[in-house]
Amino acid sequence: MIWSWIPSNGALIWQLTRENIYIGVVSALIGLAISLPLGIVAARWRWFNPPALTAVSLIYAIPAIALMIALIPALGLTDTNVIVALALFSLCVILPNVVAGLRGVPASVRQAATAMGYGPLRRLVMVELPLAVPVIMGGLRVGMVSSISLATVGQLIGVSTLGYLFIDGLQRSFPTPIYVGMVLIIAIAVGCDLVLVGVRRLLTPWVARS
Amino acid sequence: MIRFERVTKRYPDGTVAVDALDLDVPPGKTMVLVGPSGCGKTTSLRMINRLIEPTEGRILLDDEDVREQNPAHLRRGIGYVIQQTGLFPHRTVEDNIATVPVLNGWRRAKARARARELLTLVGLEQGLARRYPYQLSGGQQQRVGVARALAADPPVLLMDEPFSAVDPIVRASLQDQLIALQTELHKTVVLVTHDIEEAIKVGDLVALFRPHGKIAQLDTPERLLGAPVDDYVAGFVGFDRGIRRLSFFSTAGLSLSTGPVVAADATVAKATATDEPWILLVNGGKPLGWVPADRLAQQAGDTPLRQVPAEAVGHTFTVGTDSLRAALDAAVLSAAGQAVGVDGNGQVVGVATFDKLREAVQAEQSAADAAAEPPAPADSQSGAPA
Repeated sequence: MIWSWIPSNGALIWQLTRENIYIGVVSALIGLAISLPLGIVAARWRWFNPPALTAVSLIYAIPAIALMIALIPALGLTDTNVIVALALFSLCVILPNVVAGLRGVPASVRQAATAMGYGPLRRLVMVELPLAVPVIMGGLRVGMVSSISLATVGQLIGVSTLGYLFIDGLQRSFPTPIYVGMVLIIAIAVGCDLVLVGVRRLLTPWVARS
Repeated sequence: MIRFERVTKRYPDGTVAVDALDLDVPPGKTMVLVGPSGCGKTTSLRMINRLIEPTEGRILLDDEDVREQNPAHLRRGIGYVIQQTGLFPHRTVEDNIATVPVLNGWRRAKARARARELLTLVGLEQGLARRYPYQLSGGQQQRVGVARALAADPPVLLMDEPFSAVDPIVRASLQDQLIALQTELHKTVVLVTHDIEEAIKVGDLVALFRPHGKIAQLDTPERLLGAPVDDYVAGFVGFDRGIRRLSFFSTAGLSLSTGPVVAADATVAKATATDEPWILLVNGGKPLGWVPADRLAQQAGDTPLRQVPAEAVGHTFTVGTDSLRAALDAAVLSAAGQAVGVDGNGQVVGVATFDKLREAVQAEQSAADAAAEPPAPADSQSGAPA
């Protein structure tokens, strides 16, 4: 561990960190944006559920690098390629939570909402989705952490992330950048997770604190 | 107000939940639907606000078929209370209560002001307005449920086992609250319960269902206890229905005796002179205790009565306010076998023996039977007990 390497490469480390955060966060948010409508459909029409959840498991089993390579003909060696791949992976963990969150709304609450005079769409937006927030946020937290971590794989198709530090360290048999990259990935993941916990608390003041 | 016309609900598997039901719920009254599980009482209730659609027949609300109305609009005009409360966990108490006014387009501030009025109406403190449902007790949640149902001042209130999930003490207080609200608001209430005691306590009319959606008897609670149409009804109402019917009889006509009532500062001799088997000692008009005559016989005649050991009075009944059931209970629990009647201030009016109570019960029963028309079985084809 050569400590002096860090300040002399500060600009590079900072740039890679920002790129990694950008790719990880955007991928997870896109995954969430796609999961919501799919999850609503899957929660409402039960027949959609088994094929959707099977597809999700299959996609999640694809190695990240294989998916990115497979996307090269369509998207090239671009940020978009990595973001699409990671959004798909985070979709795989967020979608089941959206379904579980919506299904977890107590039947009595749903019935009361209907009996109060909510139409189906209003009931979904005003009652069911807000009540599913804690479970959906649980999925988003896992999706975001894994996106941030997996973003480093994008380096293998030339997309700049903290993965650069791993390849650099490996090629030069110089472990310092590898340690720095790992610590930064963990720090970013923890930081983003804390932000999401805070957002969840803000959105759900009604959840009993244990 | 609410009229069921030959309403049938048949499920695709052939199960008949409700069978050609005819029922009129008069405006401003509380109609209780009671019966065993699977008798169709809840199904009947939910067909009123179209949570369930009937297979045949129609339901009229103010002479309009509910099925010809937009369901969401129909429901905003019908209050709905359920056992599990169905409160929205993500909304504060005031926003829960304000639900229907907000759906009706009220501004939030106005809707919340209305919510606060309702908190008071259902006996909750204003301080609860900003709490979330998880911060309330079961009884408080149920009161919020009632407040939410009443928020838009709907003429009709549907209650599906509203008090079944709380402990007996809270349940009794919620039932009292409903009765008190009804004397003020005069909503048309349809309440479903499996608890015949609750039906008899809160109902103006009780429809007792047989299994599979037929009414066995539709009557006032007093008639249901006094004149069950068949063994099924008698069995459902319970073996002590005679005693329970006494709840509907007044003590105003009970003849009370003051013979055994003696002031505690009088002497034993004075008490012995009454020739009563039991003496009720009173102090400033309040009952102190019962003393048996044989105990007096062991005392010198000039002994103050106050010094003679006495048996506890137990509970008294308020003449004219309490029912004959309360008076009979007081007599049963009394060492002297006599019920002590007091006025509104707790002053002794007189005592009643079992004989006097029996006379009063018989007088009230014949008056009640004479006043009521002979009951007709609601469904004459299937009179056999279940």
